[in-house]
Amino acid sequence: MRRFLAVRLVQSLTTLLLLSLAVFILARATGDPLSLVLPMAATEEDYTNARRYLGLDRPLPEQYLSFLAKAVSGDFGTSLRARRPVNELLRERFPNSLKLAAFSMTVSLLVAFPLGVAAAVRRGTMVDTVAKTVAGLGQALPTFWVGIVLIEVVAGRLQWLPAGGTGGLAHYVLPGFTLGWFVLAGLMRLLRSSVLDVLDADYVRTARAKGASERAVIWRHALRNALIPVVTFAGVSFAILVTTAVVVETVFAWPGMGRLAYEAITGRDFPVIQAVVLVTGAVVAAVNLTVDVLYVWIDPRIRYG
Amino acid sequence: MAERRHVRRPPLLPVAIIVVFVAVAGLAGVASPADPYAQHLRARLAPPIWSEGGAWTHPLGTDRLGRDLLSRILYGARVSLAAGVVTVALAGAIGGGVGLVAGYFGGRTGALLMRVTDATLAFPIILLALLLAVTVGPSFTNVVVAIALILWARYARVIYGEVVSLMERDFIAQARAIGASPARIIAFHLFPNTANTLIVLVSLQVGYVIIVEAALSFLGAGIPPPTPAWGSMIAEGRDYITSAWWVSLFPGLAILLVVLAFNLVGDWLRDVLDPRLGQF
Amino acid sequence: MRRAILSPLIVLCLLTATPTWAQPSGGELSVVLSSLSSEALDPILAGHIVKFYLSLMFDYLVGATPDGQLSPDGGVATRWETSADGKRWTFHLRRGVRFHTGDELTAEDVKVSIVRALGPRSTTGYAQGLRQLVKEIETPAPDRVVIVTKDASVMIPTLLSRLLSTEGMILPKKYLEAKGDDGFARAPVGSGPYRFVEQVSGSHVRLEAVPSHWRLGAPKYKTVVFKAVPEETTRIAMLRRGEADIVEISRERMKEVEHAGYTVHLRREDGQIEGWFVQPWSQTPIRDKRVREALNLAIDRKELAETVFGGQAAPAAVPFGLSWSFPEIKFKITPEMVYAYDPGRAKKLLADAGYANGFAIDVFAFQLPGFPEGRAMAEAIAGYWQNVGLKPRLIPVDYPAFRKQWFDRTAPGALGYYNIANRDWIGTYALIDKYAAPTAKSASIRDPELDGLMDALIHQPDREKTYALMRSIFNRLRTEHLGLPLVYYHTPYATSKRIPRWNPGAVMYELNIDEVVAGK
Repeated sequence: MRRFLAVRLVQSLTTLLLLSLAVFILARATGDPLSLVLPMAATEEDYTNARRYLGLDRPLPEQYLSFLAKAVSGDFGTSLRARRPVNELLRERFPNSLKLAAFSMTVSLLVAFPLGVAAAVRRGTMVDTVAKTVAGLGQALPTFWVGIVLIEVVAGRLQWLPAGGTGGLAHYVLPGFTLGWFVLAGLMRLLRSSVLDVLDADYVRTARAKGASERAVIWRHALRNALIPVVTFAGVSFAILVTTAVVVETVFAWPGMGRLAYEAITGRDFPVIQAVVLVTGAVVAAVNLTVDVLYVWIDPRIRYG
Repeated sequence: MAERRHVRRPPLLPVAIIVVFVAVAGLAGVASPADPYAQHLRARLAPPIWSEGGAWTHPLGTDRLGRDLLSRILYGARVSLAAGVVTVALAGAIGGGVGLVAGYFGGRTGALLMRVTDATLAFPIILLALLLAVTVGPSFTNVVVAIALILWARYARVIYGEVVSLMERDFIAQARAIGASPARIIAFHLFPNTANTLIVLVSLQVGYVIIVEAALSFLGAGIPPPTPAWGSMIAEGRDYITSAWWVSLFPGLAILLVVLAFNLVGDWLRDVLDPRLGQF
Repeated sequence: MRRAILSPLIVLCLLTATPTWAQPSGGELSVVLSSLSSEALDPILAGHIVKFYLSLMFDYLVGATPDGQLSPDGGVATRWETSADGKRWTFHLRRGVRFHTGDELTAEDVKVSIVRALGPRSTTGYAQGLRQLVKEIETPAPDRVVIVTKDASVMIPTLLSRLLSTEGMILPKKYLEAKGDDGFARAPVGSGPYRFVEQVSGSHVRLEAVPSHWRLGAPKYKTVVFKAVPEETTRIAMLRRGEADIVEISRERMKEVEHAGYTVHLRREDGQIEGWFVQPWSQTPIRDKRVREALNLAIDRKELAETVFGGQAAPAAVPFGLSWSFPEIKFKITPEMVYAYDPGRAKKLLADAGYANGFAIDVFAFQLPGFPEGRAMAEAIAGYWQNVGLKPRLIPVDYPAFRKQWFDRTAPGALGYYNIANRDWIGTYALIDKYAAPTAKSASIRDPELDGLMDALIHQPDREKTYALMRSIFNRLRTEHLGLPLVYYHTPYATSKRIPRWNPGAVMYELNIDEVVAGK
């Protein structure tokens, strides 16, 4: 176990190292941030000064190493656009992302469970088709369109819920639902097939043969077994949700990490781009690692990597 | 397990939808009532025929530059389907290749390739695509390449897992024993045994790619106008959902149908070809 | 996520979601815009584009009226005069103006603020011009500041006023020295009617009223919040739900919002959509005057204004001819200056220039804040040029990518454009300088005669002669077709029912929120 943990840890760190290199190169490939930071009338000399001041005149390998060394100690430098420490921006945005992702994940799980179980138990029937369609629609419609229609109808016409921005719980409903619906299909499909697998397993047949009610079979056996893959998937999706919510964050004016990254990319704000990608990469890696360790903990036969 | 799945018939409706759209894409040149690029600013945002003020010249109305919506949707089928299919094919080729090579050679090569795979998986999809789009400018090719450069990693992971387990099987050992080259073993022994998985993975993601392209269009980094792509048509039309709903609704319906159809067919393929494959 | 039991929460959400119409007037004023662009809190860090909120936090040395005149009532200076040789400008300061820290504003604060605005850290719009003009700043008395210039210049009061950028905003010297530049940029202090409370990047800036202010009396709203909401449907829904009081809307959806019963206020001729051709022209057809005229004649500006701009725009005629500069210098656009839509003549001119078969021309296509029609307009222009036999190629990029190619001069002859904010003539002069000065990276015009006029103006001490030179500059730009003037656009803002009356004014990058919050 200890050896497995060590190996996985080294693997995760290597992954993050590669990620840091990739984002360092990609961020610089996007172009020159200076023409955006400096006034239009800036002369060549102003550019040279600014380049020196921002440390952009040093050789690339040197820049990379200094970025890496600082990042390890949790310092991501200063935003070129906001002229504020990147950490400050992350502190403002990250909790918002986390909260929204948590809310949408909860919504998604709450819907996926009854839907997935119903679809499995009534497989091949209308119930199954309807459940799959409801879940599938979330992935078949662009999220921005779903969001905009919800805003127009629920916030604009019915005036039931706030249209955008952060605030009390009511502010979570529309963006959370939009995002949750997108994840729903995956969760539902997974639950359905897990339940199906378990329903066909020998021990369940035995239980059934012993006269256990169908309901008891599903709740006692099927769901318990389905939990592991569902939790895994939920964990990984959660990590992804935190960052890929750019579109939903834009539509609902939600100041999260995705929007931060988007603003950084359009503003060629290298330090912020690097920080967002590395932080999310670290979150994904941490979730994956935890899931792997949990797996091995539960079932020591599993080994992969 | 097989007993419950062999009863599944192919989903007729989804297959029919795909066939129809593929035909539409092929025949767009003949079937379109107008040039999808021709602007008529004075006739912009004309409603569809059944609405008040609609006319046969533009059966589904016009967009914000007065271009015929029906023609753009028909040509858009070509663009969006091509984007979906080409992207997954490219991603499948890269991911399959990496998975096969990493699985076959294992050791340092395998470990390194898998770390690259993991790093790619840890990169938020939309952000990577945005970075690439901003770097090289948005275009059909760049969007396809950008999405493929992320998607491949998922395939590589799964295929790698398959290959690792295949490597322990007897027929590989035998092939090695008779001196087959690595290329030969990969091409003739490993690849055929993972092809099903790859097909399933790839088919499940055509729809996903179309949706990601739409999201990129919303952020201004999708297949750019004037090329008619469904994603950018919806993105452009979103400002008119109350005043000229047709501009975004019709391409939206097209995407909805096609993506649902591809996902259902992909689901079915998974059940038939590779039932072990759960959610990935 | 400790709150695992969610269904009661959903009920709770629905309960807390009761519409909030019943907000008391005098609480929070919510201004919702598509973007807060630079989000700057420090006036010298690209503060000019967010003047609309900074001017609530700071006072200017020289004030301005909402319609764009310098005013002794709106700024810290109650009067100003120049010496006989035109090289010494004396400003007399208002007594009793206090910063939010409680310190009184004196001449030393004014000096420090201007020096800082001209310093190396500054990225304000007119710092460059001021650096060339200003020799030194004297503070003979606590209520008097003298600005000594190298040449006689009529521009000083305007350059330090609320009409233009943020160089004239007055900051507290003591606080600045205590906090340092970085500290100040995070927790700025001014002497305006509102003081800074909080900023969440990408979301909002919140300000809180001071009890009483010399400019506006006791402000009507306890707090003012400026929110960035990129998606228009969301902004409109916020207006309908009472979450917003002043909302930026698009020209396209103005009618719809009016039909819904909201008052729409227009900033008429808020800016000019100006196109230009990336340098160097020497190897491209653009070097030929006839070609430039043809490119202009091929465009139906009226149709563009009525369709792409939803009728909320008017054709423009003079390259870089910002219209708020016209009245003071007595410039008039005559009927013959207006570009006719004449594709026939355009074709003839192209043929005369040796391009009967057209030529390939790149058209960059991008959107900009406040200019959501950007890509559609680029597509439309390409369409017009196609009609006269050219071979336009659309290059969709984001603005920074275009800007890089423009500054690096890697796309000679390609068309770029910008929604240039309207401004008075001094601001316009400085703007033209950015596009014409041979040394500037942004230079997009190459015309020695124009350079001569520009240079003559800066050294001209006489006001009337300055005006005449400025008129000649516009005439030169127009007769040589040194750009692609497209339209003057109006910018609509919708207001909730609790805003009784509001004139968004005619001052660059301003919204005249003063009028909405004024207590007197």
